[in-house]
This record gives sequence, structure tokens and C-alpha cells, in this order.
Amino acid sequence: MSTRRKYEQGLSWAGAPTGATRGTHSKRAIFRRTIFLMLVCGVLMFVPLAWKLWDIAIVHHDEYQKMAAQQQTLDFSISASRGNIYDRNGNVMAMSATVYKLILSPLDLVKSVPNKDENGKPLDEEVYSARVAARQDQMVEELMALAPTLDRERVVKQVHNTKSAYWEIRTNIEEEEAEGLRAYIAENKTSSYLYLINSTKRYYPYAGLAAQALGFVNDNGGAYGIEAVYNELLEGTAGRVYTTRTAGGTERFNTYANYVDAVDGYNLTLTIDTTIQSYIEKTLEEGIKEFDVRNGAFGIAMDPKTGAILGIASSPDFDPNNYSKVINELLNSQIEKETGEIFQKLKANNPENLADSELMSKAESQAVSDARNAQWRSKAIDSRYQPGSTFKALVLAAALEEGLVSESDTFNCSGSVRVPGYPEPIHCSKRTGHGHQTLAEAVGNSCNPAFMEIGSRLGIERFYDYFLAFGLGERTGIDLPGEASTKGAIWDRNKMSNVDLAVASFGQNFEVTPLQMICGFAAVINGGNLVKPYVVQTVTAQDGTVIQNTQTEVVRQVVSQQTSQRAANILEKVVSEGTGKNAYVAGYRIGGKTGSSETGETDRTIVSFMGYAPANDPQVIVLIAYDRPEPRELGVKCNYSTTGVYISGGNMAAKKAGPLIAQILDYMGIEKVYSADESAAVDVSMPKVTGMSLADAESALKKKNLKFRTIGEGDTVSRQVPAASASIPGGSTVILYLGDAAPEESAAVPDVTGMTYEGAKNALEKAGFFMRASGVSTYYGNSTTAERQSVAGGDVAAIGTVVDVRFFNVVEDGYVG
Amino acid sequence: MARKAKRDLTMEEQLARGPLDLPFLMLVLMLLGIGLVILFSASYYTAFRDSEPPVSNNPYFYITRQALYAGAGVAAMYVVSRINYQHFRWMAPLALGVAIVLLIICYIPGLNAPINGQRRWLKLLLVAGPTYQPSEIAKVTVVLFFAARLCKRDTEHKKRFTKRTATGRALNWLEKIGFLELVPYGLVLVAVLGLVAFERHVSGALLVAVGAAAVLLVSGISLWWFIGMGGAGAALVALMYATTGYVRKKFALWLDPWAADPQVEGFQFRQGMYSLASGGLLGRGLGESNQKYGFVPEPENDMIFSIGVEELGLVGGYLILLMFALLILRGYWIALHARDKFGMLTTVGIITLLAAQVFFNVGVVTGLIPNTGISLPFFSYGGTALMIQLAEMGMILSISRQIPAPRKD
Repeated sequence: MSTRRKYEQGLSWAGAPTGATRGTHSKRAIFRRTIFLMLVCGVLMFVPLAWKLWDIAIVHHDEYQKMAAQQQTLDFSISASRGNIYDRNGNVMAMSATVYKLILSPLDLVKSVPNKDENGKPLDEEVYSARVAARQDQMVEELMALAPTLDRERVVKQVHNTKSAYWEIRTNIEEEEAEGLRAYIAENKTSSYLYLINSTKRYYPYAGLAAQALGFVNDNGGAYGIEAVYNELLEGTAGRVYTTRTAGGTERFNTYANYVDAVDGYNLTLTIDTTIQSYIEKTLEEGIKEFDVRNGAFGIAMDPKTGAILGIASSPDFDPNNYSKVINELLNSQIEKETGEIFQKLKANNPENLADSELMSKAESQAVSDARNAQWRSKAIDSRYQPGSTFKALVLAAALEEGLVSESDTFNCSGSVRVPGYPEPIHCSKRTGHGHQTLAEAVGNSCNPAFMEIGSRLGIERFYDYFLAFGLGERTGIDLPGEASTKGAIWDRNKMSNVDLAVASFGQNFEVTPLQMICGFAAVINGGNLVKPYVVQTVTAQDGTVIQNTQTEVVRQVVSQQTSQRAANILEKVVSEGTGKNAYVAGYRIGGKTGSSETGETDRTIVSFMGYAPANDPQVIVLIAYDRPEPRELGVKCNYSTTGVYISGGNMAAKKAGPLIAQILDYMGIEKVYSADESAAVDVSMPKVTGMSLADAESALKKKNLKFRTIGEGDTVSRQVPAASASIPGGSTVILYLGDAAPEESAAVPDVTGMTYEGAKNALEKAGFFMRASGVSTYYGNSTTAERQSVAGGDVAAIGTVVDVRFFNVVEDGYVG
Repeated sequence: MARKAKRDLTMEEQLARGPLDLPFLMLVLMLLGIGLVILFSASYYTAFRDSEPPVSNNPYFYITRQALYAGAGVAAMYVVSRINYQHFRWMAPLALGVAIVLLIICYIPGLNAPINGQRRWLKLLLVAGPTYQPSEIAKVTVVLFFAARLCKRDTEHKKRFTKRTATGRALNWLEKIGFLELVPYGLVLVAVLGLVAFERHVSGALLVAVGAAAVLLVSGISLWWFIGMGGAGAALVALMYATTGYVRKKFALWLDPWAADPQVEGFQFRQGMYSLASGGLLGRGLGESNQKYGFVPEPENDMIFSIGVEELGLVGGYLILLMFALLILRGYWIALHARDKFGMLTTVGIITLLAAQVFFNVGVVTGLIPNTGISLPFFSYGGTALMIQLAEMGMILSISRQIPAPRKD
């Protein structure tokens, strides 16, 4: 059926074509509409695009470019490696090495858990968070396995702290361990959240040796000591990389990149000698034990001619490898005591109403921090003390220089002197007085009245001039930090009275630093020059180029060469004959001066000894001091320490300083030169006399400066004690056995402590032993007594054994009463 | 095939052998050339960083593929340009049928090749071969189909229905307002748009609609329909804005993109801005983009224009836009001079599609319009899309062959 018919039948859905077409008069419309589209799509459409582009690329260029540059640029510094510190012989005292830090990013740990399943479908929130939690728990286990020393609770807390992207799990991981961790990271592909980064660690191979001088390094660089003073030279200049980067953070190499190489830090070579340093520190520690010293000790060894510090020590010390730890026993016991005191103080004044436990922890940290500060201090530099009698050497030199005294002058000491302006007589250390004495004897006796006399001859003005000339009024300028200020250390020149002058003449009532004192003393004996002390000899670049070499700097000539020589001769006698005789070491000409300083505190004395050797050509000057040997009875001016030693520089410091100086001289390779008396006692080799006739034996022994006694009957020597080529002191009496007489194998050694030289020698030889004496120089005086022996009395030893006996002399050079 | 002598050709054949429009061809080739260069620059780093096969850290991966497809595309363009476009008239319904079938296949698991859960992809041989989007084919077949039908509008007579029944009267009224005429187009369009949109490819549907609308507009349909449809579209968007958070979010992002989280929603926009702004007037220089190093997401794709501007500057960006503008203008010029209405409508449809893509892409990159996810013709990576694009250009060239030579008196 055609549509037309359908239409005629009236079927509603059928239509019949009409005459009109659908697109009537469309031609114009089509043209117009095409032109319209052409304009819209070909022109108008581009207008907003072009405008937008202009707006972004030109108008907002700078603003957006800046933001873009921020994310695109990579600007990091390349750390320069810190220079090493060497001692004068090139031993490494401080060095830097690469260590590693293990870092966890809890944030990225979460991100490492995929939030889609295997088919790429997003996971449900619950499933996802369960997986994250499982991963975190697993991480805790892994970390505990990696580092079992970690605190588990802390690990759990940190792993779940998902806001953090940086947690230092462990620091200072050494290469060996880092290797294992690196393998673990690579194997488990954890590098997006668990990784190692480089850092450096400072190593001090000698641990606590010269700790205060070296100082230490914390996160901000050198914090103390040489590390701090020379920080800029040591740390070098960090390099910088300035370049563009990828979104992943990797550096891009292109022409815009700007590289500045890092310049590694310079190396320092010190004047300090680790061996000498260790001698000093050992001496300090021994003395502290021996004399029950409660407030530490200090010691300096210096080349008196150049000012080069050979060793500088202060006790208590610390280990710069672990500088926060308090290692000194005395300090540790003090912490406990102090914690209690601070706690009581805090409790009494507690405005914030803190709980006891809080106060306690506050007190504890306060006490620990005090202890730390105490161990970091270099007392030889940053504290002042009254130099005591050691200062007399300077007064002596000044007076000699001014021609106010001469070697032929004599002084009379009655035990005390009245000084106008002071109500009480000022006592000498020997209350009974030294009587009539020459200048040398007065110095040797450390006689206070004599020096008050010399001081008054000098007068206030000249005294003050010399005080300043010896550098005691200004800082020495050493290249170590923390030199104490000299402010208020001595009276103003115009306020100084005669009484002040009198006590100042024997070194009391004013203060100097130990370093100032050793420099001033050095000027007395080195030819008269005040030198500037220093610890850094050379600064070298990594390639060995010397950047800086310290030259001796003579601040000024204080006294003439001749005066210096005269003073040195007198001071040598202090050790050979005077209050310093406990510092005597046979073979070395040691000069020096003892000192016992008042501190203004009851029961606190600083005992010191300033010694130098060899006297004719000083190579080393040493100052050691012990602060507060504990008196046996407190508060009563008791003169004996709890260990039974008379508290004075002569009995304590000199005794420790003598062997120390000898050790240093030995180490420095300075030959012993014996005086006639000394050489007589030098060890000789026992000749073989067995089988000889008695007459032959006698002449053979005589050649060796040995005496003999015989046991038994006969003409020929059958046996001898000691055996051939044994080494025994000259002048010893050997035993020759005649005929059938035979020596015992062994015998008990007699106790000779407290005996005089002769007595001890006889007692030992009688028992078949030999004595090698050491200690004070006056063998033959009966005031000298044996202090200790190498084989204790009563012990059995082989016949012929040489027993070392140390002689000691109680000297009366304590502080004025 | 031996080339026939000119005298043996029918007039049709002679026309089909006419000279193709050289300016249009040149513009296409220039844009293609520049596009390849920028693509190489933009994709180098991304490819280098991509360890997944098939890229496997090969920095030349994208450019090699794109260049191969471009070569094939130029060949296709030439071949298509040699076809007498009158054949497209009868091909159009067939092609549309095929396109719809392909769109349906997209919904069949096993035969489709979804990427990231989106079903807009198919493999060329269904089970193997490179992937392509059937919507690309749908776009051009809808245009062809519409053009092929609408060009007969002038000879199609209006229908008259009986006035006796209410339905008849209603039909008469509908015919009068021109609704009945639109029913077949509407059905086709609804079918195709529906299929494309539910693949989750709204931007593809948008382009299909734009192409169809252009053809309908130029064919002389009453403007009221456009106003009505425009109004309906706006209402739909308003409704979606009111009901779905997704659309609202998209608008908020568009209105104040700097307020969005710079690491998440605002990331792409920001990085595009940085890139465009870094170019300044003259650009960093070819290959010197900093933003392509992982900052701009998918710099080889939708965001390629920003890399181009960063390297070539505002001047370069303007030049590229100018070339597009010239191409579009020349396209409409061809449409205006086309031999017949079919050629004209086809050209208008294809060129408007191209223009829409340029506008939507550059508009998104510059922040002018909300993000749509439409690639830039001749520039963005996508081999099959490029090939189809070039084939479309071939159609226009084919049409340009039959432009009657101007009379010179």
C-alpha cells in the first residue's frame, strides 16, 4: 500500500509528501551559518585562548616562574670533610669518618602499601587500612630484628607516627654494619621509606687524651677546645650544587648547572706530643690517688724557649668520642651528692608546685650538666689560682735584674715578720725560722720573710712593673679557648699596700692562670724572654701545602740573659738541696720551685711544682698542681692528707713532677749527665771473679767501683753474689764466697722504710741484697729517709736481687700560718 | 592499475582527479611536523623513566611509534584524498553501522581492551593489534552520516498527515515545527552518545555532539532547536552540578584552581601553568623544558601544548595556534567552495570537530575551561587517533579536489 493511499485512508502515522521541501530557502542560511562557524571556530575561539596564554606567559610570567623554579631547582651543599688533628709526631688525635644514619619515613611506609588490588581495582577503606596496619606491624618486627637494641615501645610509636617522613632510627652506623643494612634495603626494596644517609663522625683515637685541649664537635661544628678555635680552618668550605632537577629529585646535568667544589678542611699539627701528654695525665691521676685530691688537677708541659705546649692536661677529663658522658669517678659521686642538694633547694623554692619526681629529674639534669661543664673545663687555662711560692722565682729574677739582691746577700729568718699595717706577724712555713741563710738557701728554703724583704726592696712600683712585664696582667693569647680574664686578679697599682706587697712577694693574695704562670716562669729561666704559648704548630691543606706555620713570638724581654742564668742557677739548687729535692732525679739537672697556694677556702690547698730541665739548657718546663688534697682532719688547718702525706708542693707536686720530668727528658732523648756523686751510684756490670784469687778479684772489683765482703775461708773465689754481668749500683758491697762456703738461694728482704740512706743500704747488703736508690739528692743526710722499696719488707727474694728504694724528704714549705 | 587517459574518464572521475588544496595540505603537514618535534621533546624523559613494557626505558619509544603512525597516517590521507568522496554518501550508513557495532563491542568483556577500567578501547583485530578508540571512528561516521542525509534536505519534501485523527494533527504539527525531520538524527545521536558516554568517555561524547551539531546547524535546521538543546544541555549540567559532587568539584576546581591541593587535584593545572609561564615570550628553547622532567603529568599527551609553549614561548604558542586557525579557516573556505552540499557539510563537520578539539585542549591547558581530557590533534601521543585524524584530513582534501576552478574571464 502506497503511503499516499494510507494517507487518504486517514491512517494517522502515514504522511504524504507535500510540495514544500524541508530545506526551503536554505542556501543563504547555509552560507551565513557556515560563515558564522568559520568566524567562531577560526577566529573568535582563538581570542580567549590567546588572551589566556598572554596572561599566563607574560603577565604572570615572573610569579609562576618563581614557583616553578622553586620546585625545579636543586640546591644542595656538598659537605667538606673535616680536617684531622695530629700531634707533633703525626699521630692522629682527631679524624673524621663517614658513618650512616638509618632513616624511616612512616609516611612513605603507608604509601608503599598499594591501595588497589591485583586487578587495579581500588580497595575498600577497611581492607586497605588493615593492610597498612599489617605492614606497620611487620615493619616493627623487621626493625627489631635489624637493631635488637632499640626500645620496642618507641619503635611502635614511631612507625605509627604516619605524619612524620623522617625518623632517625639509628645514627653513627659504621661501614661494616651499613653494608648489611644496604643489602637488606636492596633485597626488600625498602628504599622509598627505609634508607641510609651519610653523615660524619669525629673519632678521637686517643680517647680522653688531651680531651680539653682538643675539645669536641657537636652538630654545629667544633664546640670546645681546638675544634672550636680552629673550626673554620678544620671544617673547610662546603661546596654547592645549583642545578635543575627532575620531579623525582634527581639532579639534571645541563648548562645552567652551577657547581662549586667543596674545599676540605685543613689539617692541624699540634705542638702537643701524645706521649708527653700521656705522661702528664698519668702523673695527675697517680697524684690524685696518692694524695686523695678532691678538686682535680692540672698540668702543663711547654718548651720554655718557644712557647710550644708539649702537653696540657686537666683532671677530671672526658672522652671526646662520647663527650656528654661523665666518666670521672669523683664527678659521678659528686653528681649524686649535688642532686640531693639541688633537690632540697628546688623543693624549698617551688613556685610551680611540681611533683617530687619532676623536681628530682630537674635536679638530676642540673647536676649532670654541672658535672659535664666541669669535665669540659681546661683548668690550666680557664681558672685562676694563687701561684704561691712558685711566684718567688719571678720576684727573685726581678730583684736580681734590678740589682737589689745578689748571691752573696744573706737573710735572717726568725720564723715570722711583722709588717706595718698588719696586726699579726706573718709566719714563715717553718715556724722556728730558717735562721741565717744565703740568697740561694732562702730560695731553696722557700723562706717567706726573706722574700718579704726582697719584695720590699723592689717596692710596689717595680713589683707591679715586673708583674705586668712577666705577662701576668694580660691573657697569654694562646690559641685555645676560654682563657680566664685577668680582671680583678690583682690589686690596682695605686691601691696596693705594703702588706699586699709583702704577701704578694711569696705569691699570695693575687691570682694568675696556670698558663700565665708557666710563661712567666719560663721567662725567668729561658734567657729572659716572655714567649707566647701556642698549641697549633702548622696548618696544612689536604695536599700537604703548609698554610700556616706558627713561629715563636717573643712578647718582650723581661730580664737580661745574665739575670736569667743567675736565677736558673739558684732555682736548680731548690731541687738539688732545697724544698724541691723530692723532684730530684739523678742524671738530670732539674731546676724548679715548689708552691702551696692558699685559696681562701678552709681545707683547700693547691699544691704545685714548677720544674724545668736540663737547668743549663732548659728543654721543657712543667707545671703540675693538685687542687685540694684532702686533709686528715677538716677545719683545723691539719697539715697532713688522709693518705698521710704532708700537704705542700714540695711533698706532693715535686715528688710527682720529678719522675715526670725525667720521663719526658728520657723520651726527648736528652742524655743523662751525672755529677761525681751520682756517677758513683750509677749501675755497673758485675765482673766475673769466680775462680780468681782474692787479690785479683779485689782489683777487678775496684775497677768497677765495687766493694766486697768475704764469707768462708780460702784464697780463691768459688762463688760470687751477684752473678757475672748482673747490673748493680756502683759502690755496692758484693759478696765473695771463698772455699766451700755457698750462698743461700734466697732470703727475706728486710724492711728498710724509714731508714736513712746508709742504714737502708747496710741492712739490705747484710741480707744479701743490693740497693738502688732513687729520689732526693741528699743521700748522705740523715734527714732523708726511705719511703718505699720495690720488694716489700718480709718478702722472699733471690739473693743478689737489686731492691729499688725511693728516698723522700719531708720539706717544710707549707703555706704560711 | 593502469592509469586511464583523461579522455576516457567520466566527468565524475575527472573532477575527482582535480588538484587538492595545497594550502590545506601544507598546513596539515606543518602541524604534523611541529607536533612530532614537540612530542619527541615532551615524551623523551617520561619514556626514559618508564620501566614498564612496552616502553622499557626507551626514550625514543613514543616518538618512534608516533612517527610510524604519522607516516601511515599521511599515506592514509593520500589514499583517502584519492577516493572520489561521492562514494562516502553510500558508505556513510554502513560506516555508522560498523561504528555502532564497535561501540557495542566495547561493552563486551573479553573482546574489549579496557585501560584503567575504562572501556573506550578496542584492539585493532579485536584480540590483537594496537588499541584504538571506536569513538574516534564514531565521531567522523556520525558527521558523514548526517552530512549524507542532510544534504538531501533541499529535495526532501515535507510530509502531510491526515487531519482527521488527533495523532495525525499532532504529526502535522510536529512536521511543521521540523521535529519529525530530526527524529532519525536524534535517534542515531542518542544511540551513539549513549554508547560513548557510558564507556565513561564524556569528552568523546561531547565531541560527537559538537560534530553532529555543526552539521545540523549548517544544514539549515531551525535555530530554535539549538537554543532548545543548548538550554536542555545547560539544565542537565545544572542538575548534575546540584546532584553530583563530582561535577561540583570539577567546577570548583575550574573557578579557583589555585585553591586546590597542589599535590592532588590542583597538580596538573599548576604544573601546566608553571610550564606555560616559564616559557615567557620566546621560550626556553627547543628541548629545554624543565617541566617535562616529571612535573607536568603525561607531558606527551593532553598537556603537550604547555611543554611546547615552555620551549618555544608565547611566540611559538601563538604560531601553533595561528596555524590551527589558518587550517580551520582554510577548512571552512573549502566547505564554502565545495562542489556540493554533501562535501560542504562533511567538511564543516570534520573541521568543527578539529576546532573543538583544539579549543578544548588549549582551553584546558590554559585554565579557560574545566578539565575535559581532550587531546591536541597532530601533537598529542596516540597513533591510531592521529591516523584517523589524518584520514579525515584526506577526506577534506578529496572534497577539495572537486572544487570547481574559478572562472577567469
